[in-house]
Amino acid sequence: MSMLIFYILAIVAVVSALMVVTLRNVFHSALFLVLTLFSVAGIYVLLEAEFLAAVQVLIYVGAITILMIFAIMLTYQITSKSIRQVNEQVIPAVIIVLVFFVLSLVTLIKTSWPVSNKSLPGNNTFEIGRQLLSTYVIPFEVVSIVLLIALIGAIIISRQDGPSRPGQEDR
Amino acid sequence: MMPPINWPVIYPELAICITAFIVLIVDLFLPGRHKWVLSLISIFGVLVALQIVFMNFGLKGDTKAFFGMVVSDATGLYFKTIFCIGTLLAIFVSITYQRREFPEVGEFYTLMLLSTFGMMIMASALDLITIFLGLEMMSIPLYVLAGIYRGRYRSREAALKYFLLGAFASGFLLYGIALIYGAFGTTNITRIVELIADGKPYSPFFVGVGSVLVLIGLAFKAGVVPFHMWIPDVYEGAPAPVTAFMSAGPKAAAIVAILRIFVITTPVIDLTWVFWVLAVVTMTWGNILAINQNNIKRMLAYSSIAHVGYLLVAITVGGEEGVSSAAFYLLVYTIMNIGAFAIVVLFAEREEFYENISDYAGFGSRFPFAAITMTIFMASLGGIPGTAGFVGKFMIFSGAINHGFYWLAVIGVLNSLVSIYYYLRVVVAMYMRQPQTRLVDIAISPSLMIAIIITLLLVIQIGIFPDNWLSLAKQAASLAF
Amino acid sequence: MAPLSYYLILSAMLFTIGVWGVLRNRNALIIFMSIELMLNAVNITLMAFSSFLKDFSGQVFVFLVMAIAAAEVAVGLAIIVSIFRVKESINVDDVNLMKW
Repeated sequence: MSMLIFYILAIVAVVSALMVVTLRNVFHSALFLVLTLFSVAGIYVLLEAEFLAAVQVLIYVGAITILMIFAIMLTYQITSKSIRQVNEQVIPAVIIVLVFFVLSLVTLIKTSWPVSNKSLPGNNTFEIGRQLLSTYVIPFEVVSIVLLIALIGAIIISRQDGPSRPGQEDR
Repeated sequence: MMPPINWPVIYPELAICITAFIVLIVDLFLPGRHKWVLSLISIFGVLVALQIVFMNFGLKGDTKAFFGMVVSDATGLYFKTIFCIGTLLAIFVSITYQRREFPEVGEFYTLMLLSTFGMMIMASALDLITIFLGLEMMSIPLYVLAGIYRGRYRSREAALKYFLLGAFASGFLLYGIALIYGAFGTTNITRIVELIADGKPYSPFFVGVGSVLVLIGLAFKAGVVPFHMWIPDVYEGAPAPVTAFMSAGPKAAAIVAILRIFVITTPVIDLTWVFWVLAVVTMTWGNILAINQNNIKRMLAYSSIAHVGYLLVAITVGGEEGVSSAAFYLLVYTIMNIGAFAIVVLFAEREEFYENISDYAGFGSRFPFAAITMTIFMASLGGIPGTAGFVGKFMIFSGAINHGFYWLAVIGVLNSLVSIYYYLRVVVAMYMRQPQTRLVDIAISPSLMIAIIITLLLVIQIGIFPDNWLSLAKQAASLAF
Repeated sequence: MAPLSYYLILSAMLFTIGVWGVLRNRNALIIFMSIELMLNAVNITLMAFSSFLKDFSGQVFVFLVMAIAAAEVAVGLAIIVSIFRVKESINVDDVNLMKW
């Protein structure tokens, strides 16, 4: 049963990811991105990480893609489609992607993984919280500062007040 | 079992971070014309951090802290010194420029300080995930700094390019970290070394792929060919003081992470030949492309790529000698490169006209002090004896010869010879060409003057009496092994 | 439950699609979405290892990576929108990006 769910989620994730990178309309790409992110959340549930599945939906689907759709609406007329979105670098892209994919596949198949037979403590939200505030307290604090500086940076970049000096607009 | 928390280890980081927030808050209450106070606070904060770094050299006992996440060893402290010096000089270089071009952005200093905070985290991190977070902490303010110049479109373009390629590189770095985590069940570098020493079986091929992915991510940040394509455009588009800042510290931070992961800890996978190839390609490509550049910022960008190539020679050599020569060279590079950019900022006083090398014609007689200073920096970057750059290159190449990398040393020396050609072009333009237009006066602001004099004195002093600095670098490396 | 290697192969596929999207597209927003795909692929890897190694630190990493992704989105979209305001285009060819 869980195998079947895994296959469905995996196929949805991969197909919609392909849609994201190939579609011509940016808005549709964003919608397919939402679909991919949802199926990734489903994968997390299969891996018994309910808390992060919820976080995935909240942060990625709820915040990140919504922001992206806002950005698309600010920068595009959604109805105008079929602008050519791809560049000319087909051959280098194909080579890099193929090499990378084959390499990772070979790696993943050839390696025997250390699978542990311990059982995870039942409450994963509790355990994540405990680790974040003990072993990983430094990363946790750094991330909080990263979020703060991202906030400030976004404000600095988008603040448009103040005179821009004449003759400097070299567009 | 290590002590869980060991506060003094992160005092330098805390000092920088607290200063950044003080600047942020004070900025709110300052009217536009008094923003210079912010730069004073920042300078004071960095000096305090530098003092703490020096005090931490004498830290006794276990220097690991926060459950083995960070460490305060001699290598890390040496690099923190480099970051502090680089940031200090960059602040001096930016004061006037910031007042003139974006006076209302007082957060400029906050961004710079927090970026430095990220570099410091990278230098002290003992855990791959902490290295990654330090890298993001360093990069996100840099993306904003590159695009801070709202009057100019090119600055925003630089920010976009830097951001997209930087985020792309982080993806590779993270994938590598994830694979290494899978192989060992931990991302702590000390723990991984212990596991290998205990004879834990692992698949070398697989860990190799993980390491290469991590290397790609860090190589992007350091600007190693073939992951260098963002450097020229970003350096050209970003405001000159920001370029000065990001050509020094962030490179050093990426290099210290490479040193920690691939050289200092017993390397899991022998990547010597990878570094060999990267060193040769990076040196040669950077130097060849630098020859044809007319814009001085682009020229310095390609030259910075070439300098990363020399650093890769030191990384290829590895061991104590490699680490000490890389550390020493990074210090020298930070000082001379920021010095050169200080002169670029000085000549760019009026709008951004004087950015082409040909615009420097006639400066030799018009601005004798600035021209002679620029000549010394160019000589140092090119590695002419008597300057700091020569000592640095000598250490790297003699290390290569001592360890049997003869070809690498030969290619490196040939590359330095090529590089002298394009550094001399600037000098020739300043002294031997007649100016096309009448040269306007340039008023040297005191802060810029301080930066220029400090760098000039250091370049000459290290060039002639390098012993103290060298022994410091040797000590930094010897304690790491 | 599906074996570990299935999750890893799924993750490698998503990552590769992301890399392809970055290299092949010229729209800054789609490049950005592709980068998000890459990060999600990494998260699946981390999560799979965490679940099969019975080790919680992988889940903590996923949490941290999500926070970083959110920070990048904030800065990145601000930059993209500000570019558009000047240039009315976010095709990276137009902004002279990706000259390899």
